[in-house]
Amino acid sequence: MNWFQRLSKTGRMEKELDAELRFHFETQVAEKIQTGMTEAEARRATRLEFGGLEQIKQDCRESRGTLWLVSIVQDMRFGARILAKSPGFSVTAIVVLALGIGVSTLAFSLYNIISLQSIPVRDPATVVRIQRRSPENITPGVPYASIAYYRDNAKSLAAVMETMGGAPMLLDRDEKRVSTAFVSSNYFSELGGTPATGRLFDAARDDSASAPVCVLSFRLWQRKFDGDPSIVGKTIHLGKKPVTVIGVASEAFASLGTDDPDIWLPILQHAYFVEGSKPLADPKFEGLIGMWGRLAPGVNRSSAEQELLSLTNQLRKIYPTVIWDHEYILVTPGAHFFTFEAGPGRPPVLQIVGLLVFLILTTACANLGGLLMARGAGRQQEIQLRFNLGARKLRVFRQLLTENLLLGLLGSIAALPLSYGVLRLVLVYSNAPAWMSALPDWRVFLFTSAMGFVAALLFGLLPSLQMVRRKKNRSLWHQFVVCAQVGASCVLLILAGLLVRATLHTLYSDPGFGYEQVLSIDPGMSEHGFTSTQAQAYLDQLQNRLRAVPGVTFVSTARVPPLVNTMVMITSIDVAGHRIMIYPNWVGPDFFQTMRIPLLRGHYFHNGEKNAVILSESLARKRWPTEDPIGKQWEKSNNVVVGVVGNTRAMELNNTDATEIYYPPTADDFPGMSVLVRTAGDPNTITPAVKAIAGSIDTGLYPTITPLTAGFRKNVSTVEQIAAIISLLGSIAMFLAVVGLLGLVSYAVSQRTKEIAIRLALGANRVEIFNAVLRRFAWPVLVGLVAGVAITAGLSQVLRRALYGISGLDPISYVGAIAILIAILAAAALLPIRRAFQLDIARTLHSE
Amino acid sequence: MTTPSKFDLPQGTLDLLILRVVALGPIHGYAIAQHIQTISKEVLQIQQGSLYPALHRLENKNFLVAEWGPTETGREAKFYRLTAKGRTQLKTETETWARLTEVVAMVLQHPLGETS
Repeated sequence: MNWFQRLSKTGRMEKELDAELRFHFETQVAEKIQTGMTEAEARRATRLEFGGLEQIKQDCRESRGTLWLVSIVQDMRFGARILAKSPGFSVTAIVVLALGIGVSTLAFSLYNIISLQSIPVRDPATVVRIQRRSPENITPGVPYASIAYYRDNAKSLAAVMETMGGAPMLLDRDEKRVSTAFVSSNYFSELGGTPATGRLFDAARDDSASAPVCVLSFRLWQRKFDGDPSIVGKTIHLGKKPVTVIGVASEAFASLGTDDPDIWLPILQHAYFVEGSKPLADPKFEGLIGMWGRLAPGVNRSSAEQELLSLTNQLRKIYPTVIWDHEYILVTPGAHFFTFEAGPGRPPVLQIVGLLVFLILTTACANLGGLLMARGAGRQQEIQLRFNLGARKLRVFRQLLTENLLLGLLGSIAALPLSYGVLRLVLVYSNAPAWMSALPDWRVFLFTSAMGFVAALLFGLLPSLQMVRRKKNRSLWHQFVVCAQVGASCVLLILAGLLVRATLHTLYSDPGFGYEQVLSIDPGMSEHGFTSTQAQAYLDQLQNRLRAVPGVTFVSTARVPPLVNTMVMITSIDVAGHRIMIYPNWVGPDFFQTMRIPLLRGHYFHNGEKNAVILSESLARKRWPTEDPIGKQWEKSNNVVVGVVGNTRAMELNNTDATEIYYPPTADDFPGMSVLVRTAGDPNTITPAVKAIAGSIDTGLYPTITPLTAGFRKNVSTVEQIAAIISLLGSIAMFLAVVGLLGLVSYAVSQRTKEIAIRLALGANRVEIFNAVLRRFAWPVLVGLVAGVAITAGLSQVLRRALYGISGLDPISYVGAIAILIAILAAAALLPIRRAFQLDIARTLHSE
Repeated sequence: MTTPSKFDLPQGTLDLLILRVVALGPIHGYAIAQHIQTISKEVLQIQQGSLYPALHRLENKNFLVAEWGPTETGREAKFYRLTAKGRTQLKTETETWARLTEVVAMVLQHPLGETS
């Protein structure tokens, strides 16, 4: 019999125990009657000999070893009654816990969806992502020629799939472009995708050889074609090129990786849609062709890596210039939305989020701990009574702990719907793929209950210990709890303030350049395989014709047009041991006038100038703090600094630390360049003219025209969303601080009710009493504040490097947070003290 | 009821006595107490308050198993019986006890023990 069986048979065991003892009792009585006693006498004597029957039973139960479980159930029931008796406290505690645990559950749920859950494809465990790595290089893509080689030779892979994100394309005559992805013909069949209507690409049919075809996503089918099944077999135009729709993927189909395209196209037909494209033919092509595989039965990832490494070494003989030194192949689980990869230069996103989440949980627990301590003072009599009735210390402690665990559990339960609701909103607003579900799975349940448990220990251990220890001097514990409470709230409030202020400040201050009247035109030449001579000719012609348009004041070229690209380049130099991150750009001579970036020293680029660089003022000052940079050689190159221009935040709007370096474009840069146009009036009025000119020079190109204001607005809204999330966390922190500090002061007052009464009776000044009550908190609060400030100053340095270029020591955030805390403390103090002033002096003094 | 002298059994000794008595054959709690009392010539009085928790503890350790059955008077009682594990335990415990008393006696009877 194990303990569970024993417990489930508790009823029978009880009956048997009773019968056994009764038998003993009756036998003894019978014996005594035989010696000549009357029955009544015999019973009385036996009862005396037996002592407490209940006590014997209890000892028997205890020696049976099931008692702890029974008593936990008892404790739970008792705890529930205690909580139900003070609903105000219970609700507050559960809300505080739900917030603290809810935030961590939300963060974990997101991580779970993104990285832990498998996407719904056939046999997800064997789907792998395959990437190139070397000690110097990281790239997500693999050249097509290499993929073909691996596919033909790797025995560890049962199948190889390719995906390649395409540029957004015009669909028929729509204004809005649709996103596309090129995939191998086995893509759908390998992943077990099913069509909603029509058919999907079929490896056996080899669609690549036939006329151009495409598969629509369920979302686009609904949005654009109202779910009309007759679309199958019809011809649509993508970038003005006719293509036949063969089917629609089902709504539940999950694509690999983070791509969630509107339309899938066969990768072998890439050249048809993107004229002059060469990724399939050119082994040196650095485009982003993603390689995926399905492991052969019985093969694990590391043995696949080994085989692919040896194949890579053979590949090096065929394409010596393509394969890097010490190149190896990284095989990672493929059936996840996104895999966080640690490594130098990658921001420790997981760690930072984890830290923030833990900080919020800690703050919640520290504040709840304060509240609990306050309540403990009120329960002192109850606890004392239980000791007096003979309860053991451990028993009472366990009872209190069970109560806290119950609270933790209730907090976890309340956290789940909270996290679910927010997660649903997030998924809806971020247009998440249909398979992503906000419903918690077993991992989330496990995590949340674990968090409830951790929280219960965090907030409950100290106050419970202190309630059981019947020592007079408990002030050290109290002061520790107060320190933790104030410190944790302080860290959270300052961080929230810092982040909000930094994001908003950078948004509403001058970005350092004029973006309002500028259009960006991206011809997309590199996708279409333009050579540098072709590209230069096109750019020259486009610029000349644009300059002739009335209302156009400046025209320039730039490799990275500000605010438009989501991808920016970044490089770095070391100055006296410090690494400086620099945004490089390759720009035409008129770039600075077009963008209204002021020239501070030297001159702008001349037409056709070579071996020259222009620095932003911030970069110049960091590199040569005391010297004149003009004429200096730039970092072991034969480039000479010819000018210094104003700082801009063109590449990262919320980074005030950004430094820039500008180069004149070289021939290799031309195919990737965009054109910027500044107008005297509203740039939208000349958009049609620009469109006409750009389209007429080369009819094979479909330039993307974007006003920079649109890019700016998009950037701003992203930053504002981040600020909103942080503000929300900040208000949670504030709420937690209010609850905790209110509890704290109530406690202090309740401890000193008698003293206050005496002082009042003796006619003391109320301000004096106020001071006397709060004085003992002065040191712990001060220490908490100082510790909080110190921790935040340290943390903000980490945040600064990883998130935004905020000033980690912004005085307003610090002073503001401290002021808020003290204000909360004062407000929290007023309520209980007011109550104390109204107390009945005579009754209070008589009560003990 | 008078007894020449009553004393507390050392920790764990009761378990040993119970095992010894139960080794004679299936027996119920009351008889165990009687038996110990008789054999010890009324020196050892086993209190119900220690007997039954000890029985349940030994049952829980699988040294004893219990079955309900009729007594000579026809009443239903809980009869305890030694398991194989209990028999081994009895053997080792008896040996330990013998060695312990021997050693304790040796120390107590040593002439040095009388000095000071």
